[in-house]
Amino acid sequence: METITLAWRNIWRSRRRTIITLIAISFSLMLVQGFHNLAFGVYAQMIDSGVRSGSGHIAVYRGDYATSRDDRLSWELAGLKEKVTTLDGVRAALPRVYLLGLAQSSRESRGILLTGIDPVAENDINPLLKKIDAPELIRSLNGRDALVGNRLLTELKLKIGNKFVVTAQGPGKELVSELFRIRGVVKSGIREVDNSLVMVGRERAARLIGGPDSVHELAVILEHPDLEDKLTGEITSLLGNRENLSAVSWEVAMANLANAIKLDYASQKFIFLIIVLIVTIGVVNTLLMSVMERIREFGVILAVGATPGRLRRMVITEAFLIGVISMLLGNLLGILLTWYLADVGIDLRRFVPETMEFGGVVFDPVMRAAWDFSYMIKMSLYVLVLSVIASLYPAAKAARILPAEAMRHF
Amino acid sequence: MSLIALRNMTKIYPSGNQHITAVDELNLFIKAGEFAVLAGPSGSGKTTVLNIIGALDRPTEGAVAVDQCDYSEMSKKELADFRLRRIGFIFQSYNLIPVLTAAENAEFTLMLQGVPAEERRKRIEAIFAELGIDGLENRRPGDLSGGQQQRVAIARAIAPEPAVILADEPTANLDSHTAEDLLDLMRKLNREKGVTFLFSSHDQLVISHAQRVVHLRDGRLESDTRQDA
Ligand SMILES: Nc1ncnc2c1ncn2[C@@H]1O[C@H](COP(=O)(O)OP(=O)(O)OP(=O)(O)O)[C@@H](O)[C@H]1O
Ligand SMILES: [Mg+2]
Repeated sequence: METITLAWRNIWRSRRRTIITLIAISFSLMLVQGFHNLAFGVYAQMIDSGVRSGSGHIAVYRGDYATSRDDRLSWELAGLKEKVTTLDGVRAALPRVYLLGLAQSSRESRGILLTGIDPVAENDINPLLKKIDAPELIRSLNGRDALVGNRLLTELKLKIGNKFVVTAQGPGKELVSELFRIRGVVKSGIREVDNSLVMVGRERAARLIGGPDSVHELAVILEHPDLEDKLTGEITSLLGNRENLSAVSWEVAMANLANAIKLDYASQKFIFLIIVLIVTIGVVNTLLMSVMERIREFGVILAVGATPGRLRRMVITEAFLIGVISMLLGNLLGILLTWYLADVGIDLRRFVPETMEFGGVVFDPVMRAAWDFSYMIKMSLYVLVLSVIASLYPAAKAARILPAEAMRHF
Repeated sequence: MSLIALRNMTKIYPSGNQHITAVDELNLFIKAGEFAVLAGPSGSGKTTVLNIIGALDRPTEGAVAVDQCDYSEMSKKELADFRLRRIGFIFQSYNLIPVLTAAENAEFTLMLQGVPAEERRKRIEAIFAELGIDGLENRRPGDLSGGQQQRVAIARAIAPEPAVILADEPTANLDSHTAEDLLDLMRKLNREKGVTFLFSSHDQLVISHAQRVVHLRDGRLESDTRQDA
């Protein structure tokens, strides 16, 4: 018959009111957890797709290339790719050359981004090459084989097999040209990519800016995103102080994507505010009503010798129990919802085109949740703490009851 | 030596911009072992006097001492402790905590005192037998008759062996037969164990059972008589 037993029996006195409160709190916890995990999963997938087609989890750049994209900031690979690849936790290191240029067919010309890649290394990683057998199409690092964006292909009025010329600025500001043959088409769904992508063997592209070993970027794909800090350190020490090179996080290299995600997470604060309101209003309302209904009873309890502090503790314990039950129930529901969203997901293909773009990255139209356990635990604790905080006012009201007056109450 | 001593005790309630003098310079002394009743019409101040003796309320003027203890300077917490150890209360109705069983209700004051569960159970068992409510230990108050509920309230009041039991119209909601049984029971506790009782009532039945009748009218002492009961 200690405080907790008494509190437990008390919360079930008004069974219906308690159940409604429990359902309101657990449902909001479930929704917050479920939708956060959905966003978490979608972002994880976008980041994954973003880093694979873009800068990698970690990118090696010279100077301020991450922000300036200045073609002249190229550097010599000098075996760095092999050294990075052998590091523990690195899945692949992708050297790339990027050059702004002009593509000309016999009838049209368009501004393009010439991208020199290692087709073998990129093939099973870069989502732009998802349905493409890159090594089969770009047969060597210094050949003339090219993949182009599908929109660029139509704008240049070319077909697979046709030749075209790419002109860019060489190292001494002189114009340099190179002839390529179209071997395949890339259809990413990202307008910018489909309008301007020309992918060729890395060494051929590198010749336009200097030697065959020149690159602008070494994109490092990790086995797991959490390894980023550890490997940034290891790669930085591999670089020594070579030519002003540095290892940069994807959040810096792909600021658009990082900002878009941050903005979207910010909108979740609003949902969080709603849960705060539901818990607070639910607990305050339930307990205030139950305290008001028990004024005479509290008067008796005080009269026979309980201290006001004991009444206060009893009311707070009632809130704590409501918090614990709704936390457990909410987590159970949140786990089930996340499970469903992770397993089945939300299929947007009926509502949107085949591919969707967000922050410059394509994402899968089937949205799937991922488990963010630390967030789920954090929200559960918030529910518990909020329930207790919300009970302080009703508890104080109970503790202020004057027994002589309460006894006149019926 | 008086167990309860009220000297020139006055209680004035503020009521709007008027004042209601509920008790007016009352002098009252009650010895240990008495079985006394405060009688008087409605509004005469009976409940007010009991509340002040029971440390539920403070007098506006005058001195109150119970068991040689003047609690005019005590904090809320000290008052609670005083009530817990020295005063037993029985009210007119709704005395019990509805979510607790009869035994748990009776144990409540012992639990507040920190008496171990095992000892509580033993003491309550003995008291229940004495009060003729053994077998009802696990019933909730809602499943007890009015008379049974009052007996459980008596059990709770006497369990900590207080200096005095204050009972504000304990029989008001009972039929006369049940009321008489209850009064006989309390009288027995008074005789056999020396428990001091102070009632309030305007019920002739209660008054006839008392050893001493203190009549109040408009907060003043009207008469104070001893009788055989
Ligand atoms: N909290 C209060 N505020 C204002 N007036 C009060 C308060 N409590 C009691 N009174 C007044 O004090 C007077 C005495 O009341 P009290 O309850 O002590 O009488 P009583 O003898 O117990 O009456 P009853 O037999 O009806 O229970 C009454 O006039 C009552 O209206
Ligand atoms: Mg009264």
